[in-house]
Amino acid sequence: MKTLILEPTEFTPDLHFDPVQNVLNIAGFSRPENVIGYYKPVVKWVQDYIEEVVMNNTEFDKALITMNFRMTYFNSSSAKFLLDILFELRKIHEKGNRVVINWYYESDDDEIKESGEELSDLVCLPFNYYDY
Amino acid sequence: MIKETSLLTHNGSLSYEAIGILLNKMTSILDDFGMNITIKKKVYAAIVESLENIYRHQDIVKNGDQIIHTPLFTLNIDPQNFTISATNSLRIEKIANLKQRLDLVNTLDRIGLKELYKNTILHNAVNNRGGAGLGIINIAKVSENKIGYTFDPIDKQYFLFSIHITICHQ
Repeated sequence: MKTLILEPTEFTPDLHFDPVQNVLNIAGFSRPENVIGYYKPVVKWVQDYIEEVVMNNTEFDKALITMNFRMTYFNSSSAKFLLDILFELRKIHEKGNRVVINWYYESDDDEIKESGEELSDLVCLPFNYYDY
Repeated sequence: MIKETSLLTHNGSLSYEAIGILLNKMTSILDDFGMNITIKKKVYAAIVESLENIYRHQDIVKNGDQIIHTPLFTLNIDPQNFTISATNSLRIEKIANLKQRLDLVNTLDRIGLKELYKNTILHNAVNNRGGAGLGIINIAKVSENKIGYTFDPIDKQYFLFSIHITICHQ
């Protein structure tokens, strides 16, 4: 399947999901005017990607999936969809694939760090936290 | 010492782009005051959620072709706090549910709000207006103060809803 690339705008994040490298990156601002229109295809891509990963899994070889979040701000509607993406990754984790989630945040930005901790708690997947 | 000052005002229809312009102005103003990133993010989040609520849920009241009661937004500062106020017209049918949700968040402490946020985000879908029922909870979480509000009748079908959010900057 193709890499999903969504260029950043004033209202939407920089999104780069690579199914070959198994690295999913999302960064920047998220408050889309049409949040369903923006994120529904993204969630669908992740669902299709998960299916493909599972198909390629063998008993001794399961892909490592890495998701990097470098969010500056996301509104409450975006949070719902970021959680949906994370729940999809939890499914693949439950299939035996290793899933690494890295949460990058600007130093002293307690709000965004706490937002990451909340998402981690909601999806029951550990995050690694890195400040910059 | 910071004096009580009006920092930003918007009175008129609210497009998504207009919200972005207000946010950019706010960020610049708060930089001028030397506010740290956490305070800036709190004020930013409160403004986004309150203005997006207006954008998604306002009910426009017209007199013929003329729109009466356009949204009003203000951001003020005093020695202790930022105060965000937002006013918009709403149909009477929406009042009871809105009041109930505001009263609920105002009874909850930090832990209670986290639990309410958790339950709501896990069980609510995003509706076709783009909301997930999380905006008011988010406002309460970042504010860490009770949300003030009033409902003033316009006529038999509409009310003027005003929300007042306080964020400490000290």
